[in-house]
Amino acid sequence: MASTEQLTFAIETFKRIHPVEFQRRFLSQDTRHDGRAFLQFRATHVVKGTIGTAQGSATVRIGNTTVVCGIKAEVSEPDVNTPDQGYLATNVDLSPICSANYRPGAPGDEAQVDSEHIFRLFGEVVDLKQLCIENDQAVWSLSADIVCLKSDGNVLDAAIIALMAAVEDLKLPQASLDPATGVVSADKAIETQLTLRKRLFPATFSLVDDAYLVADADDAEERLATATLLVVLDDQGRLANVWKRGAGTIDRPTIARCIAEAKNRQNVVSSALE
Amino acid sequence: MARPDRRDPTQIRALHCVLGQLNRVDGSAQFSAGDTSVLCGVYGPVDVKLYDEKLDRAHIEVKFRPDIGVPTTKDKWVEDAVRSTFEREILGQLHPRTLVQINVQVCQGDGSVDAAAINATTLALIDAGIPLRAMVAAATCVVRPDHSIIVDPTQEEADSALSTHTFAFSNLQTNSPAYVDSRGEFSIDEYNACYDMCMAAVDRTLAFMRTAVEGKILKETQTAL
Repeated sequence: MASTEQLTFAIETFKRIHPVEFQRRFLSQDTRHDGRAFLQFRATHVVKGTIGTAQGSATVRIGNTTVVCGIKAEVSEPDVNTPDQGYLATNVDLSPICSANYRPGAPGDEAQVDSEHIFRLFGEVVDLKQLCIENDQAVWSLSADIVCLKSDGNVLDAAIIALMAAVEDLKLPQASLDPATGVVSADKAIETQLTLRKRLFPATFSLVDDAYLVADADDAEERLATATLLVVLDDQGRLANVWKRGAGTIDRPTIARCIAEAKNRQNVVSSALE
Repeated sequence: MARPDRRDPTQIRALHCVLGQLNRVDGSAQFSAGDTSVLCGVYGPVDVKLYDEKLDRAHIEVKFRPDIGVPTTKDKWVEDAVRSTFEREILGQLHPRTLVQINVQVCQGDGSVDAAAINATTLALIDAGIPLRAMVAAATCVVRPDHSIIVDPTQEEADSALSTHTFAFSNLQTNSPAYVDSRGEFSIDEYNACYDMCMAAVDRTLAFMRTAVEGKILKETQTAL
């Protein structure tokens, strides 16, 4: 009879050498390798205001996945075509610090796609007109940096929740433009928060091994996913995004079930964001 | 509410395609729907970078260039859309340790560009003779401010929409979409209505593609005789 130490070593080796088989052993028995139910999300924690030097910030943990979002505000000139609108630039940073999957250097494909997707989602959330200081002359330009510190699957959900929390945490000092000198001065004593158009609640589902639909896949499950479905709900009972990638089969009833599960998830995320 | 070009809500624009017009690539196709025109050139199977080399299948790479300006993260997003759709449709297992490179260039953009890119890619892959599991076609629907739904919007119609929905279906699998991108503010009923409308539009597009490919093969065999 092998000792516990030898048994643990054998399991780890098996997981490394036969990752698909390892996952199948659990999934075929209606469970997952970390003991969760198929549609169960990991514990989610949100802390706002974690970066003192940023105007808005938040740290989000979903299981072991940790994402930090910091928003810095700068004054700049508005675009000629939109003189009363400010800017919100979103950047997702996936670097070697969070996982061995990523290489150092310029943002890779996954980071760029995530950045673009989040940018499109948050176009519905932040009213850029609220960032106007002086029409046609000065506006706030917000740079939101979403940095993944630890990647254990489902970074996109964590990134969306982190930016949502950071935008809710955002405090902009009262700014005014002196017409004589053209200098914008900010009064830190008076701070305003943005009134958001809506709040977003994401839920990601993955089709592992082309057969098992799981919610909030961790890294091991994500690698074996043949399709990913992101459902984003808003706080007014509507859908903001349904994004299915990968050609694995996720049929209509399954998508409907995922949307229903996303509604449950919304309650959890909503209370975490308080 | 009437559409600017007087089309029915379920009517797609006139489709047109030219296969094999580029002579340096392995396969090419220019797919046009109305004023939207996308050119796709495919190399494959070709030599692959050591880093991308996969032992059991081909590496799929997509490059998407917009009609105006330099490629940005917006175009990276479309590359990801095309790549994730075709990664399983291309029978990469038949050509391990090689590269299939898909180059998409927007010639003219007037709405539904993402869908046109997917359509052009299917035709270019067929033209290149790369083995495919199935043909994939895509269509876009938008929900207008008055909550009416129209298919294959022009840029003007898409700009004023409440939500945009792009669906891609393969001709083999009718119960599951190959790709879905629905964005904006919409209800599940609107989502389902767009799903149905896009599926009907995709059926018509697949029939068009079939005719185009048949025509090309007919022409080739006739000139050979």
